[in-house]
Parts: sequence; C-alpha cells; structure tokens
Amino acid sequence: MADSPEKRGWIGRVWNAIWTPAVAFSSGFLLLAGFLAGILFWGGFHWTLELTNTEEFCTSCHSMETNLGEYRETIHYNNHSGVRAICSDCHVPHEWNHKIQAKIMAVKDVYHELVGTISTTEKYEEHRLSMASAVWKKMKASDSRECRNCHNFDYMDFTIQEARAASEHQRAIDNNMTCIDCHQGIAHNLPPGYLERYQEVTETLAGTPQNSVQGQLADNGAEIRSYLTTQAE
Amino acid sequence: MLELLGTIGANIISLPGILGLALGMMTRNLMLGAAMGGVVGVVETLIFAHWSFANIETTELIIAVIIGICAGMLGTAIRIKGATV
Repeated sequence: MADSPEKRGWIGRVWNAIWTPAVAFSSGFLLLAGFLAGILFWGGFHWTLELTNTEEFCTSCHSMETNLGEYRETIHYNNHSGVRAICSDCHVPHEWNHKIQAKIMAVKDVYHELVGTISTTEKYEEHRLSMASAVWKKMKASDSRECRNCHNFDYMDFTIQEARAASEHQRAIDNNMTCIDCHQGIAHNLPPGYLERYQEVTETLAGTPQNSVQGQLADNGAEIRSYLTTQAE
Repeated sequence: MLELLGTIGANIISLPGILGLALGMMTRNLMLGAAMGGVVGVVETLIFAHWSFANIETTELIIAVIIGICAGMLGTAIRIKGATV
C-alpha cells in the first residue's frame, strides 16, 4: 500500500508532483511555457559554451601562460591581414558533436590546473612532448579538421604562392597528406625528439587501411616553421 | 577513457539523446521507441561523417546507437508513466 502524501519525504513529493496531471494549466500553456523555457535554456547553454571559446577564458589559467607567450610570436596571432586564429579555432571543433566531446574532455585541463601538473617551466617542458603528441594524434585522425575551417586545398591558388610552398602543397595533395604532417609547432614551440614522436603517432594511426605513412611526413618542417615565423615578424 | 566519456556526453546532448527522447515519447511501444532512437543514432553519425560510411568510426557509431536506444526507451517510459493516451 502506498504511503500517504504526509508520510512521503520531499523527494517523494516532488516525484509525485512531476507525474500528477496538471489541473491548473492548459496543454497550450504548458506547451508554450516549455517552448520558451527550452529557448532560454538552450540559448543560455550555447552562450556559456561560446564564452568558454574565448581567448581570455582559455588563457585565464596560470598553466596557459607559456602557450600564450609562444602563440603571440606566431603568424596566427600577428600578421599583415589582421585575421587571427585564437585557441578555440585550432583546438575546438565547430561541429556540434565533436565540439561537445572536446569540451567534456577539456575538463581534464581544469583538474591539471588544480593539481599543478604543468605549473612550472620545468614541469611544462617535461610534459610538452606528450601534450603536443596528443594534439597531433587528434589532428592527424581528423584530417586536420580545425585547420581546414580556414584553409582549404580547393581554394588555394598555387600560382600566387611561393614556388616552394606551391610545390609542397601539391605534394601534400598527391600523397594524401594532411596539414599537421608538415605544420607541427606553428603555434607552440617544439620539444626535442618531436619528429620521432610524430612518426610514432602516424604509425599508430596507420593501422587504418586508408593511411599510408610513406611520403606523409614533412622533410623540411623546420624550414616551414622558420618561414611562417619570419612572416609573423 | 576520457574520449569515451566525451563521446557519450556529446551524444546525450546531441541528436540521439534529444531527438531519440522526443521520438520515444511519441509511442507507448518500448521496442518502437528503442528502434527510432537507434535510427537517430545511425543518422547522426552519418551526418557528422558527411554522409560517407568511410569516415565513420565504429566506436562512435556504436555509442550513438546505444545512446539513441536508451533515450528512445526512456522517452517511451515517460510516455507510459506520464500520459493516459
């Protein structure tokens, strides 16, 4: 026999209220109220999500100071056209499902900020290679999806690119390469041994049949970075 | 592990979770609710793979379908519990 309403706890009373048919409100009222509440909730949720995409938010943690300093020296921060790519442009996907996945995974950054995993320069350098390889792995696996939000081979006019850039981009198309194969370290400094680690990342992902490791690695990555840094200056 | 949690969370507040729940609430048949949720899971994965089966990752597809099925069944349970029709 069910308990009388007086004997129920507050959870029981709330549960009961949820499943009791509304007698004071019409269906139309509940529908419109639910619709408006949904708009308010979804708008607020999306707005908050966008706030977490701002450069100020990303770099508000102490751990991000090193990243920020390095990024400010690159062409993606300062260039002749004034077009900038901020943290979220490279690290947060645009498509909803991938974006939410990235945001949930970013909770680990809060944890590491709290425990101070990369709180000093020494600790940062110690973790630089593993952090970089995690990003390379994501970029390689997604065919540099975030780069391609702005850059696209289909719209590149090789005739107005420098001869070397045009030649390398053509090679990238011919060999089914992706942006990160050559452009590692364009926003942050590279640690020693990065090429070997990138090779490992590529080989790990090459388990899938469509990838071919051969011919997919840049043989002049240092030159590319040097060129881009010069352009930024 | 974190990637798995991220994928699950993303699917819950994406089409499989939301549309799956809504479609489940349109029926009192648990199997039909689950089936509709599962279909939404497949469609959503295809949408984000730009309608190319080659771009689909098996894990993502499985998670999307499971979330869709669960959401569809939950929607049906809500219909059964919360409506008289």
